[in-house]
Amino acid sequence: MAPSPTIPVTVLTGYLGAGKTTLLNRILSENHGRRYAVIVNEFGEIGIDNDLIVDADEEVFEMNNGCICCTVRGDLIRIIEGLMKRKGTFDAIVIETTGLADPAPVAQTFFVDDEVRARASLDAIVTVVDARHILLRLEDSHEAEEQIAFADVILLNKTDLVDAQELERVRQRIRTINAQATLHETQNCVVPLEDVLERGAFDLGRILEIEPNFLSEDDHEHDDAITSVSLRSEAPIRPELFMPWLRRLTAEQGQDILRLKGVLAFPGEEQRYVVQGVHMLLDGDHQRDWKPDEARTSRMVFIGRNLDRAMLQAGFDGCAVRAA
Amino acid sequence: MPVAEAEAALIHRYGRHVALNAAPTALLWLGTTAAVALGDGSVCWIGDGADPQAMPVHGGAILSACRSPDGAEIVTGGDDGRVCRISPGGKVAELGVFARRWVEHLVVSPASGLLVAGVGKEAVVWAKGAGAPSHRYAVGSTIGGLALDAKGKRLAITHYNGATLLYGTNPESGRVALAWTGSHLACTLHPQGRFLLTALQETGLHGWRLADLRDMRMGGYTAKTRCFCWDRKGRWLATSGDAAAILWPFDGKDGPMGKAPLLRAGRKNARVTQVAFHPKDDVLAVGYDDGVVALARLADENTLLLDTEGDAVTVLAWNDAGTRLGWGGEDGRIGLLAMDARA
Repeated sequence: MAPSPTIPVTVLTGYLGAGKTTLLNRILSENHGRRYAVIVNEFGEIGIDNDLIVDADEEVFEMNNGCICCTVRGDLIRIIEGLMKRKGTFDAIVIETTGLADPAPVAQTFFVDDEVRARASLDAIVTVVDARHILLRLEDSHEAEEQIAFADVILLNKTDLVDAQELERVRQRIRTINAQATLHETQNCVVPLEDVLERGAFDLGRILEIEPNFLSEDDHEHDDAITSVSLRSEAPIRPELFMPWLRRLTAEQGQDILRLKGVLAFPGEEQRYVVQGVHMLLDGDHQRDWKPDEARTSRMVFIGRNLDRAMLQAGFDGCAVRAA
Repeated sequence: MPVAEAEAALIHRYGRHVALNAAPTALLWLGTTAAVALGDGSVCWIGDGADPQAMPVHGGAILSACRSPDGAEIVTGGDDGRVCRISPGGKVAELGVFARRWVEHLVVSPASGLLVAGVGKEAVVWAKGAGAPSHRYAVGSTIGGLALDAKGKRLAITHYNGATLLYGTNPESGRVALAWTGSHLACTLHPQGRFLLTALQETGLHGWRLADLRDMRMGGYTAKTRCFCWDRKGRWLATSGDAAAILWPFDGKDGPMGKAPLLRAGRKNARVTQVAFHPKDDVLAVGYDDGVVALARLADENTLLLDTEGDAVTVLAWNDAGTRLGWGGEDGRIGLLAMDARA
């Protein structure tokens, strides 16, 4: 029996007032031919009545599995299970989080619960950012920073409310935190919905390329600021060294590592190995064959706090096959 | 599965399949008529040899269902926030409406006549014969499961970090708080109220001996336990969540503490999703995540194959006389077996 395809889930984050509701209303009202079940937070203000809109309770609890930062959203496990009883009446799920939410428990829910994993898969984390207020927010809010750090897609919204100079500062700041996300600059969240929904960003099969970080990682604003560190190795990576290294790293530093992704070339293997993680949770698999004209460069990116670039690069290099 | 074995499954000789268009939430017997509550909000009645009769009841999905306390009707809870009582004739009485909330749990006691619904963070109680909610109990987080004892007085409510125990007939009931870290889901009370067992999000069971509130841990499961069933004498608790049906002994005062469980109907590459004890014999019906349904005897390791294919079995129930067994899978395929046909 072939496993039935999983339902894609988009997580929509962003600080209060950034424009999440505007985007949700578009998703619910536009004629795009797809049916979305939308899980809204308790204080959501969706102006549309639809029996596929479900209220969430933001019930975060700690897994009793010895993993200290492994918090999940119990209400989402319940709601997704309930929605699956209505299988066939919707094509995808959108989860709106409150402005103050840490995206990690939402993401981790899709790694941790076997039954949720069997039915639904995290598609992408989409973060709406208010161009006018974000720099101030980042000064006083860990959550605003984490929402950007976790994002696969960032909508830099309300760009009409700032001048070109300010916009450039905002872009730079976002790129310092998260150099990997796809960035769309918008007004009123006007962006083709296919650029936001059903992106497959968490799909191991669709991790294509990890771009080298174009900013210096030492561009810190304060000590616990979130940054991205990207690593590369031209020499193949030895899995028997890499796997224990990555497991040890995430076990020891998982609280600081918000997200990681990697595309790896193992010696003598024709297939790319891809890996991704959220805090201490890791997921990895062989993906597709390396193309004949493709350089077999292994790359990793880490997004988090207190990332020691030199130490990470040394650890990664230590997993590489040494030149004879 | 070999073709010969599949054809030998008892469903082909003593039963039949009925294809429905939605996933079943519950299968309940009223005599020899099966009532199937479905994910499309409808209830389907299937009488002996008769065509299925579907009737729309809820706006969205039916999330929970049980028989009414007198056993003559069924009660359903939906994601439209309604609780409805439905007669086999098709009459629907609305017992309650909880706007924008889901009615995820329903339990009932024929002994006390209580009906209890789990709606968000509230356990809502209908006293015997009541047509509207009588009283409610709020807990700190969303309810994961409900259970009543055989007298229908003690009510257990599971939630995050433990369970709450109270007397469901008393609106002012005192409470016993049972604390254990984690998210507690489905639960069951020993028929005589001596033990409470809860299923954990991380898999495995937690238990409390209620006389002294001593904790018990029952681990080793590979999936969450969603289904509990006591045998008719309260000696065994059958549970789902592993490759075999796991039966815990409860005949002594210590319950399963320090004892090994009995494993029945174990299979490779499949997981038990449903268990149901025969009401009169030491026989356990077992449903698996690959659509197989089997009967296992407690006395030995013999099993009898009832059904061999389909999606994961999500509902499984005997009628009171033990003459009918019904099951259903996520694909909407219902199996109905007449056991008296063998006589």
